[in-house]
Amino acid sequence: MTTLDIYIDDKPLKVEPGKTILEVCRENDIDIPTMCHLDGLTDVGACRLCLVEIEGVNKLQSSCTTKVSANMVIHTQTERLKRYRRITTELFFAERNHICAVCVANGNCELQQLGYKVGMDHIRYPYLFPSCEVDTSHDYMVMDHNRCIMCTRCVRVCGEVEGAYNWDVMNRGFNVRIISDFNTPWGESGTCTSCGKCMHACPTGAIWPKSLSGEQLHKNPEMISELVKKRKMNL
Amino acid sequence: MNRQELHTMAIKAREQQASCKHKIGVCCGAGCISIGAEEVLKKMQEDVKARGLESEVAVVPTGCMGPCNQGPLVKYLPENTIYQKVNAASVAEFNQAQLVEGKPILSSLIFADSRTKPFINAAEDPFFHKQLKIALKDCGELNPEDIDDYLVHGGYTALSKVLFQMSAEEVIAEMKQSRLRGRGGAGYPTGFKWETVYKYVSDQKYVICNGDEGDPGAFMDRSVLEGNPHRVLEGMAIAAFAIGANKGYAYIRGEYPLAIKRIELAIKQAKKIGLLGSNILGSSFSFEVEVRIGAGAFVCGEETALIASIEGKRGTPRPRPPFPAESGLWGKPTLINNVETFAAIVPIINNGGEWYSEIGTPKSAGTKVFALAGKINNAGLIEVAMGTTLREIVYDIGGGIQGEGQFKAAQTGGPSGGCIPASHLDVKMDYEALVSLGSIMGSGGLIIMDEQSDMVDVARFFMEFCMDESCGKCVPCRVGTKMMHDLLEKIYMGSATKLDLDRLEELAIYVREASLCGLGASAPNPFMSTLRHFREEYENKIQPEVQLVKGI
Repeated sequence: MTTLDIYIDDKPLKVEPGKTILEVCRENDIDIPTMCHLDGLTDVGACRLCLVEIEGVNKLQSSCTTKVSANMVIHTQTERLKRYRRITTELFFAERNHICAVCVANGNCELQQLGYKVGMDHIRYPYLFPSCEVDTSHDYMVMDHNRCIMCTRCVRVCGEVEGAYNWDVMNRGFNVRIISDFNTPWGESGTCTSCGKCMHACPTGAIWPKSLSGEQLHKNPEMISELVKKRKMNL
Repeated sequence: MNRQELHTMAIKAREQQASCKHKIGVCCGAGCISIGAEEVLKKMQEDVKARGLESEVAVVPTGCMGPCNQGPLVKYLPENTIYQKVNAASVAEFNQAQLVEGKPILSSLIFADSRTKPFINAAEDPFFHKQLKIALKDCGELNPEDIDDYLVHGGYTALSKVLFQMSAEEVIAEMKQSRLRGRGGAGYPTGFKWETVYKYVSDQKYVICNGDEGDPGAFMDRSVLEGNPHRVLEGMAIAAFAIGANKGYAYIRGEYPLAIKRIELAIKQAKKIGLLGSNILGSSFSFEVEVRIGAGAFVCGEETALIASIEGKRGTPRPRPPFPAESGLWGKPTLINNVETFAAIVPIINNGGEWYSEIGTPKSAGTKVFALAGKINNAGLIEVAMGTTLREIVYDIGGGIQGEGQFKAAQTGGPSGGCIPASHLDVKMDYEALVSLGSIMGSGGLIIMDEQSDMVDVARFFMEFCMDESCGKCVPCRVGTKMMHDLLEKIYMGSATKLDLDRLEELAIYVREASLCGLGASAPNPFMSTLRHFREEYENKIQPEVQLVKGI
């Protein structure tokens, strides 16, 4: 099989063409934080945490959407990238209400982990904290928009894996919200199959099962990735 | 219809027009219509009829003539006399003077209130003679709702030439030689873009005309679409021939109902006589155009968001690569050009790429249309050769600053651009020069500000615009523009400290570099450029820092 020669953080690598930079990094234990990426779902490049520098390209590129090409020289851990990852993380925390101590996902939250990872010891920006709805109309699950970071993993898993297309996005800018059907309460959705994939895909405490809270809550996003893999197998 | 029949049709239309001794054009651009041009047109037709002159005087609606804030405008040809602020009640007076007595009414001539001696032949007025109209050449002359009038002005001869005398490679070579650069703002060389799409092999390719002009104060594309829609269609057809596409979309923003109406009418007319559709003019080339109407999102002017919108999806951008040239509409190779770029294709094909490349500056060939607005005497639509200085635009064409005001700065490129201060009035306007000043050419909005303008307020205004128009997909733009706006607001209100300004500067660079698309990446530009040229205005508003602990 043909391979491409690339360099990541000065390390020469031989990689298969067609892979994204993020895939190659994960395979080689190069740590790049992500939020909107979930193995098995289409990448959208929205969270901007996985930005990398590519020599000869004047813009930072999201590694989840950029495919490797021959002789690419990639830097993933520069001071600039680290600074930007921290700013992005701070903006997540400042945007909506992410007070870990009173969140159901405390201890099981990718956003919380991200905060530790990028060394966020405080938030330099004013908290915006818009007053968002908490939709408890569904029989088994809750959608708390105050904890949502708009990664759209729920939207994609619902459409791409479950095929239900219950979730979508409305409004724009700072006012974007995840909606169920055409902005009806989740419990009244005509498309939701109550499969719970969105709950597992959700990286924060935005979607959680009604019966559980605190340390009982265990999300299993890897289950989604496994499911996608199995579906692609022709057994 | 074949090539010969097109020729015959044009000759016939020309003969018919030649039988009229006079042509009266009533500007029916959106601006003039909003202040009563349609009524003027109706009265004009009635008055000419009442005088029994309808066989020798043609009265037609035209596209934008240029001096928009003097409307409604009426133009008498062949004298080329333009009257300003015409109202329906005084139409008879003008006709009496022009058509019967042959003596123009001097007090109502164009710019009569600002010039000591207004010009009977409008072309001699500096507003017009300092301009060079290529994209806008027939805009304001011909009736945009009449394909015959377009044929009289040489319409569709460029398409005919391309179809029967040139190969796709030759068209692309001509475009490359012309050195035309994308007029949507980024200035990517058009010929190279066409060549890239041409080289991708695919069973289906698309051409898209980007008419989602959304910058505050910009109306170049609207005027072109309203004033000469066939020119845009012909340009699209030539592009389609060159890259090997057979389907095109004209994406027009929903706020432009007149532009939509006229382009739809133009498509219908062109289809009817076989200038669009299958086997155009008997050649093997087929091309269809459909109109898509934007639903009010600024971000849909970004090419990948525009494509998503045409596909019926939420209009949000996606990361590039892959670029639309490789994978665009429905995953197929797609060429996207701006309205003004398409309007420049026909003259390039007719006169040759070399002719076009000799106009302008070494790196930016040709002309640029600007929408001149703000505190300027002659606001309106202008087209100048690249390299024209800002001073010429403001003082010769624009007639200087309103009232007793002094020029302070000009904002180019709208919310994605920056300002040019008075110390750079002699800048030769082209892509490179504007970038070196921290601004951009942009799509052509040119807002003139006098010393009453507060530059912090200007930055705040544009940041508010970007914040509202952010699609909300990526974090730097969604949250970053909101944070930047709030900080600018805080500075403007006088409650910010030096720390806030430092934080704002850090955020600005972050938002510029980390955002997904051009909207976010350029959103900090108005702030950064006003800070660069007017830092003292920011510092004057900042509170002295409070020392919490003494002695540190």
